[in-house]
Amino acid sequence: MTPQPEILHYAVSVVGKDRPGIVAAISGGLFNLGCNIADSSCTMLAGEFAMILIVSLKRPFSKTRLVEELKPVCDDLGMTLGVRTLHPDEIARQETDSEICMISVYGADQPGIVYRVTKELAARAINITDLNTKLIGTEEEPVYVLMLEVALPEGESPEGVEQTLAALKKELQVEIGVRVITPVAF
Amino acid sequence: MPIQPVLRYPHPVLKKLCHRVEHIDNAIRNLVQDLIDTMHDGPGSVGVAASQIGVTLRVCVVDVSRNRHGKENNHGLLCMINPEIMSRSGSATMREGCMSVPDYTGDVDRATEIVLQFSEPDGTVREFTASGFEAVAIQHEMDHLDGVLFLDRVTSIKTGLFRRKNY
Repeated sequence: MTPQPEILHYAVSVVGKDRPGIVAAISGGLFNLGCNIADSSCTMLAGEFAMILIVSLKRPFSKTRLVEELKPVCDDLGMTLGVRTLHPDEIARQETDSEICMISVYGADQPGIVYRVTKELAARAINITDLNTKLIGTEEEPVYVLMLEVALPEGESPEGVEQTLAALKKELQVEIGVRVITPVAF
Repeated sequence: MPIQPVLRYPHPVLKKLCHRVEHIDNAIRNLVQDLIDTMHDGPGSVGVAASQIGVTLRVCVVDVSRNRHGKENNHGLLCMINPEIMSRSGSATMREGCMSVPDYTGDVDRATEIVLQFSEPDGTVREFTASGFEAVAIQHEMDHLDGVLFLDRVTSIKTGLFRRKNY
């Protein structure tokens, strides 16, 4: 039998109408449980505040206990809570040998920009590590902005990605730029 | 003592202000050699500051000539004692990481051109203009001499994906 890990990890998501105090309330609940926030990303999307946290803590513990603590806090705030138990092999720190690129896509808003771009990337096994979109411009002239951070698989180049997206750029009449943002370590 | 272990935050030395070198003697020249050896030992490393190996003196080395970002535009191996930036211009953002703060990277704005003055290990004073990636590397290393980490300058963060080698 595989030995059970001493540290348990959960993915916690909290989404709801933004207001001051959400992070303090959620992190307070986690602190009461003795939970670590190992990794997190929280942002405001339109008027919604969205939190995604990977939390860890020592055995003995259960998902039920985590939900019991956080559910009343979320209910008070009018937030939706999601909790998922992570399998030990899901929590390894991600490392990559890949080139990291930023792909910027923007132009007149139209249905399918995200789908069409990401479908091309998926077909070339390009992994999206971060993505955000924003609708800007005016009501008369809405502009869609899509920013993607991607890890290129071996053998793929930024120029190759640009070429892949060239036809789409023409068809959708949007601007598409690819640039290398691989971190430099000093 | 050639290759030295690179200290990692929260080692307190990394946040210390380093002292000026008053006399360039053999001890300082040995320190420079240790820094060079340590830099060459780090995979893809383009610079090391004295505080990163536990010495609070204003000494650092930079060599971007073997890095893909710096190979076209560099001054070779720079051994800098009491370096000073006389002027700076331009601004560009680069995603930086640091051997002393592993597993974390963030976007940092730096000057794209700097006029630099420092003493060589033989005592000669050098002054020249560095630009591009070399200028960024020098500013990063010189920050270490003031106890400043790139974390103190980050304008946006991105964690998790860190290139393993050939930075």
